[in-house]
Amino acid sequence: MQLGDARSGKLPDQITAFGRALRRAGVPVDSARIAGAISATQLVGLERRDDLQAALAAVLVSRPQDIEVFGELFAAFFRNPELEKQLLSQMLPKAPTAQPPARKARAQEALTVAGASAQRRAPGESELRLDAAMTASDLRRLRHADFAGLSASEFRLVETLARDIALPLPELPGRRQRPGPRGHRIHWGRALQQARRHEGELLAPPRRERRHQPLPLLVLVDVSGSMERYARLLLAFLHQATRGVPRSAFAFGTRLTDLRAAWKQADADAMLALANAAIADFAGGTRLGASLAELRERHARCLVGRRTMVLLISDGLDTGAPEQLDAELHWLRRHCRQVLWLNPLLRYAGYQPLAQGASVLHRHAHGMLAVHNLEHLQQLAQALAELLKS
Amino acid sequence: MPELAAASTEPRDIDGWLAALRGVGYHAPRALATAVFLAMRLQRPLLLEGEPGVGKTELAKALARVLQRPLLRLQCYDGMEQREALYEWNHTAQLLHMRAAQNSATPEQIEREVYQERYLIRRPLLQALQTPPPGAVLLIDEVDRADEPFEAFLLEYLGEYQVSIPELGTIAAMAPPLTLLTSNRTRDLNDAVKRRCLYQWLDHPDRERELAIVRSQVPQASAALTEQIARFVERLRAQPFANAFQRAPGIAESVEWAKALVALDTLVLDPEVIQDTAGILFKQREDVAALLPMIDQLLEPDVA
Repeated sequence: MQLGDARSGKLPDQITAFGRALRRAGVPVDSARIAGAISATQLVGLERRDDLQAALAAVLVSRPQDIEVFGELFAAFFRNPELEKQLLSQMLPKAPTAQPPARKARAQEALTVAGASAQRRAPGESELRLDAAMTASDLRRLRHADFAGLSASEFRLVETLARDIALPLPELPGRRQRPGPRGHRIHWGRALQQARRHEGELLAPPRRERRHQPLPLLVLVDVSGSMERYARLLLAFLHQATRGVPRSAFAFGTRLTDLRAAWKQADADAMLALANAAIADFAGGTRLGASLAELRERHARCLVGRRTMVLLISDGLDTGAPEQLDAELHWLRRHCRQVLWLNPLLRYAGYQPLAQGASVLHRHAHGMLAVHNLEHLQQLAQALAELLKS
Repeated sequence: MPELAAASTEPRDIDGWLAALRGVGYHAPRALATAVFLAMRLQRPLLLEGEPGVGKTELAKALARVLQRPLLRLQCYDGMEQREALYEWNHTAQLLHMRAAQNSATPEQIEREVYQERYLIRRPLLQALQTPPPGAVLLIDEVDRADEPFEAFLLEYLGEYQVSIPELGTIAAMAPPLTLLTSNRTRDLNDAVKRRCLYQWLDHPDRERELAIVRSQVPQASAALTEQIARFVERLRAQPFANAFQRAPGIAESVEWAKALVALDTLVLDPEVIQDTAGILFKQREDVAALLPMIDQLLEPDVA
């Protein structure tokens, strides 16, 4: 039946629909890729399903994280061309064997939009699903951060501080070069162009100097209960103040949350909304060791060639095993340029980092700064600037 | 025209590619052969990502042998610039020429003569474009190590197979080179680069493929030993053992290990010899330490 479709010219439509479904599922697919997929299909032919899948994957997928979602959508699309019927049968409770409904939510959603009419035809089921969804989100809301968008005055404050208090993010001479007077090497291309004008004389050869590049920044923000009050504005401020610097951000409590997608948003409100959705362990406990282990196992490539500055914002009240924290910090220390620890708990001058987690942190951090009151964002910004300067 | 010239060596379909690659000692999974087939036919670059040691670079070498084309390799590193990747003027020669011609020629003549192709030092990208048909195999290795400006510079090449040199104009490919990019994912590549390429994620091989690879690379090893090696390494990469290691050994490591075991005249794997050669499988002290208590479990025969 698929073969028949292909020969009567429906295949391009089908591939296009497939590409669009992938796009809905969050896979970056543009029309050039869809066109490529169609010509790839014509080259490979439809004799073997696995060849077709490999060919489409080669053209349409370009990130490892998309491979799984591609496989699920491919299975759904090229198993039964009558997509709507299949979706319908999936939703009916009496046909649970039609296909294991263990698809990724993204893939499911992408398919559901395609078969929206099918959904409308089954009102009973959609009511039920809605019900279940509400319960789930209620549960989740308890655990999620309650990041409201910034109020107008807060927004102005964040903007002003980000502009006025320039964080002295360190820079290093990179390997790339540019024309400049202080360099040691001669810019030969330009020297020859000048010499051309002076009958081949090299009068004052222009030079090349090393271009400075900002160090990549890794921000780790504690969102556990003890840091609850600071997290929101802290995130907003750091997000605005480190624009233009290669950066990655993670939140941690009992587990690690990747905020890089959220931080790609230019707008602070949009960032907070996404962070809100991503952080599921807000105002819980702190397991810094386990969170750092997760960072090492899954996101170690955020740490670029021992150049990364790690900014750890936590009160150091860690409930995990100190041995693990010690080992993980030791690893982190060896893989970055500096670990800077900003501690908002140090409220009086005689503070000693005696709590187990804090003492481990104190031993490993290259720099630590005590801040007496973090509630005023201005002090926080100044503290950060000071810490980075040290 | 390039297609005609290459017709004698280029396999015609996916099965042909599988057989041809096997013929030069590269055991490719079918999905990879499909991607190679498409890269040749659609004349698109092929981006290979995967853990270190799964055979990304080896594929380029195998393809060059199958197609009987020269392999040009551009190893990327941080701060790589156009003059290392594409071309550079031979400034010393230019200067000498300028000096020599100073008294006999007008400045315009000198200028014309100095920017000629013979003063051009060709780097891999330019060499690949100027290889006569059937073209070259160009390996741009570990693109993720170069920085983002370098990726932007690659775009013109990857999309159009041409580069612009201000003094000479645009240089288009005589025959589109088969281009392979590899990345270890130390960072994400720009989408603009990715959308110009076909993409293939290379995974650790299954036992059958590993067995075939070790057999063809280390034919001196006995069949029993090869089988044991393949099973041992497969288990290392699988749960529950894989979690204990920071980096699981790739194919390159298992081949090296097989060679080492042959050199030690090993007939059967035993805990002692594994302990002594663990440094070939793992390159981290923590990983070697984590392996030791597991050896007995890993050596147990299959349950199924």
